[in-house]
Amino acid sequence: MTPPLPPGWKCTRRVGFLFPHDCQRTTPVGCPDCQNGAIDDPYRSCSDRYGYDYYDDYDNSYFLGYAYPLVAGPDVPYDSSMEFTEADGADLVKPDEEFENDMTGS
Amino acid sequence: MWLIYALGGGWGHLTRAVALASVAQVDRPVRVLTNSAYASLIAAAMPALDVVMLNPCAQAELTRRAVQRVIAECRPECLVVDTFPRGIGGELAGVLGRLDATKVLVHRDLNPRYVTSAGLREFVTANYDLVLVPGAGEGLELGDLPITVATTPWLVRSADQLPDRSAVRSVLRLSPCDDACILVCASGNKDELDWYGAVYSAIRELNGAAPVRVVSAERPPSCAEEHSICYWPAMDLFGCASVVVGGAGYNIVRECAAWGVPLVAKPWPRMYDRQELRARNAGAHARSTIAHAPEAAAKSALEHFERSVPEPPRFVNGAIDAVRLVARFRSN
Repeated sequence: MTPPLPPGWKCTRRVGFLFPHDCQRTTPVGCPDCQNGAIDDPYRSCSDRYGYDYYDDYDNSYFLGYAYPLVAGPDVPYDSSMEFTEADGADLVKPDEEFENDMTGS
Repeated sequence: MWLIYALGGGWGHLTRAVALASVAQVDRPVRVLTNSAYASLIAAAMPALDVVMLNPCAQAELTRRAVQRVIAECRPECLVVDTFPRGIGGELAGVLGRLDATKVLVHRDLNPRYVTSAGLREFVTANYDLVLVPGAGEGLELGDLPITVATTPWLVRSADQLPDRSAVRSVLRLSPCDDACILVCASGNKDELDWYGAVYSAIRELNGAAPVRVVSAERPPSCAEEHSICYWPAMDLFGCASVVVGGAGYNIVRECAAWGVPLVAKPWPRMYDRQELRARNAGAHARSTIAHAPEAAAKSALEHFERSVPEPPRFVNGAIDAVRLVARFRSN
């Protein structure tokens, strides 16, 4: 059972499809991410991607040759390093503030 | 004994603690606990003050343990915590519940994201006896709690403690033809010193005849030695300043407002303090403007500069009220 929440409560867990961000829901009840508060950080354990099971399946055969010329130009050969990976997420979002770690904060 | 917890970077937490301690120690022993890099300068200026200085460069865990040890050894009858209810590193969270003392929080402005993520409203309600808001606009996050009381701003000097103008002229090394100067207060963090140095250079470039002084713990590289002053507290010098350039931290904003001297404020980003908000609020009530680029700050300072000096201030120091409130709470 979910304990009573204080007025103005907002969820501070991280959620997201590709990149983590603050959840900000006002109640965990019925939340598909933390499952009624049962999971501390849904992003850490997130694996289903809301049913987008093939979200990372964009190899050559998937795009039938259209995608890479559009991104890199017709004369640029395909380079696998151009693909997004999970690690790129960290570069595309502002990292969470790390409160209570800097003893000279103000 | 009252123990005042004043951990945190820069001058601000310690200066506010000193404001309170100076008044409180008249009637009881008071100790101030700090990890400010400027603690030794302030301790030298206030030799009667009992200050425990922690190493500002120490690892967080060592500082947490040192804080807990000082509290255990001191066994204060009253613990006054500046700004951070759980301690700046969360180290007070496990201590406050077991501590047999009156617990008072000084509620300077706090980042609302931190207030929410750390559950500070509930924490403060459960662990503190009294919350003091040192000036309007600071208590936006916890100001509505039933244990909160607001005072006027706390200042390190009361109006009758300010030095006379001739002494200030001498500290500032003003020439006989200058009654006032542009005073650049290079407080804040060391990596912000260059910005203040750039303001000094821009003022000199725009008007080489305007007297400008930089007060700081360390001289900005571009500042001429004869224009650099190492002095604390800077508010002593405002009697010979027709305009002040500084950050938008608690102390400088409140000190300038108390003196009625215009402030050209550069709001610096801080993890917990919303300087931009304070600067905007100050601008609505006092002669304060915001400048981000050094050139803009220099132009604004020169626009405000007059060769006249501010009138002697008649402010009420909220630290006196704060001590009275804590003492009254303890006697009830």
